[in-house]
Amino acid sequence: MPVLRASGLSFSYGERPLFSELSFELRPGDFMCVLGPNGSGKSTLLKLLTGYIRAASGSVRLGGEEVSALGPGRLARLAAYVASESSVPYDFSVMETVLLGRTARTGLWRGYSEGDGRAAALALRETGIAALAARSINTLSSGERQLAFIAQALAQETRLLLLDEPTSHLDLRFKAEIMALLSRLAARGLAVAAVLHEPGVARLGCTRALTAGAGGKWTFGPAAELLRPERLAGVYGVPPDSPLLA
Amino acid sequence: MRKNRFWFIPAALAAAFLFSLAAGPAGFSPEIIWGLRLPRTLAALVVGAGLGLAGALFQGVLKNPLADPYIMGTSAGATAAAVLCFLAGVPRTSPLFFLAVFTGAFGATFLAYWLARLTGRLSDAALVLAGVAVSAFLTALVMLSLSVARERALSLFYFVLGGLYAPRSGVLAASALLAALSGAAALARWRALDAMALGEESAYHLGIDPRRERLFFFVLGCASTSAAVALGGTIGFVGLMTPHIVRLLSGPSSRTLVPASALGGAALLCAADAAGRTLFSPSEVPAGVVMALAGAPFFMWLLWKSSRGRA
Repeated sequence: MPVLRASGLSFSYGERPLFSELSFELRPGDFMCVLGPNGSGKSTLLKLLTGYIRAASGSVRLGGEEVSALGPGRLARLAAYVASESSVPYDFSVMETVLLGRTARTGLWRGYSEGDGRAAALALRETGIAALAARSINTLSSGERQLAFIAQALAQETRLLLLDEPTSHLDLRFKAEIMALLSRLAARGLAVAAVLHEPGVARLGCTRALTAGAGGKWTFGPAAELLRPERLAGVYGVPPDSPLLA
Repeated sequence: MRKNRFWFIPAALAAAFLFSLAAGPAGFSPEIIWGLRLPRTLAALVVGAGLGLAGALFQGVLKNPLADPYIMGTSAGATAAAVLCFLAGVPRTSPLFFLAVFTGAFGATFLAYWLARLTGRLSDAALVLAGVAVSAFLTALVMLSLSVARERALSLFYFVLGGLYAPRSGVLAASALLAALSGAAALARWRALDAMALGEESAYHLGIDPRRERLFFFVLGCASTSAAVALGGTIGFVGLMTPHIVRLLSGPSSRTLVPASALGGAALLCAADAAGRTLFSPSEVPAGVVMALAGAPFFMWLLWKSSRGRA
């Protein structure tokens, strides 16, 4: 059974359709990049998938369950989401931040159990930031901070991981590190979907791609096919020989 | 690495309590201490705890370090309802009085929140502006009532100014109970408050219904503000300052922030009230004035800090 199945999704902001009859599915091990120009609806798509925004028509199923019929608690056990930029005005420690990922598993009226502590510690190890556990989230570099929020998402123990621009604002080393981490997560059976901006970064491990097109017509397919420069030239409106597409 | 200095808060509370029992021009006779200063000190503790708690809840649930019952208009709403009750002859110990005060607090808070939300993005500053507008209108209503009700205006005037004089034991007990219940309910659901402090969108994706939690913590914040206002009138800045100080001592997690803000608010207001009795003795400065003298510069500092990116 697919981890995620979107069928016939349509959504528009005002007159302009962002998605028209979009259908695709992700299976365990799939690592999909979402590529398109600014304003094409990449971030909106992720929020449609988690039910934060409701589609005008069509359906999203997570592990066979219809998203529109589920509450936030159930949804957070099926899909984890890493926002593009999340400022936190208070100095939570990395550990406190990651443990909050257990909220959907633990319920609100109880404290954290030993199992929650183990899941958080595992997520910190998997993202390679166990040494930062006691640090304040606001003292981390952008890259470390991104890893901390990925760890929070991993602590939710979902089979689907959605990330909005996880590599933007990061230096090359962290871009490579995040992509390697997401590839490892897909290899151990998660389905991963990430909004990305650079084809070069997307080629670091993505197996599937979803690219924007005119009139809300998106294309879904194997990354190797959709990430070819001549196809991306049409997506972004740049010449096919532009070095940016390499 | 953060040091946990939670112990500092009960220590400060004990010191403020003893200072408040000893402070004042009338000396140390047992009648003065037990008959006058103890009830007043207890009132300061309850009012401070209610306001400190409300500040922690509003700052968390709105992810806004500038939120506070005074700035958001919650206190003004509660005060306006209380004054109307006095004029209508509703006794201060009746449940109807507390219900009216809570309704005023809740109505004003939601109005300020709704106005701020109209601006599109619920920014920190938009909430402050909306709160100022709501407060100004409600305060004008209160002043109008005071002008009309001439013969009773003087006692009401002291209430509106925010002072802790001789609390009636019935009001003291009711306020203490209301603040304690609000604190216990908030503490039981501390994790939802932490998730909301990451923002509503993040909270949703962590499995929390942001609209439900916002309502839940607004109700608790308004209830504890009502407990404070019913007893001590309009006293500002306790709710704003306390959580910021407490976070420096014992961290931002609501598990410690909620009880520590209640204890810290109690200590802060108790000390402010005692200082008001001591500084210009034998004249007495109302606790609300002392808090504003300390709190307004603090607020300016927070504004300056948040304008530079982070508060």
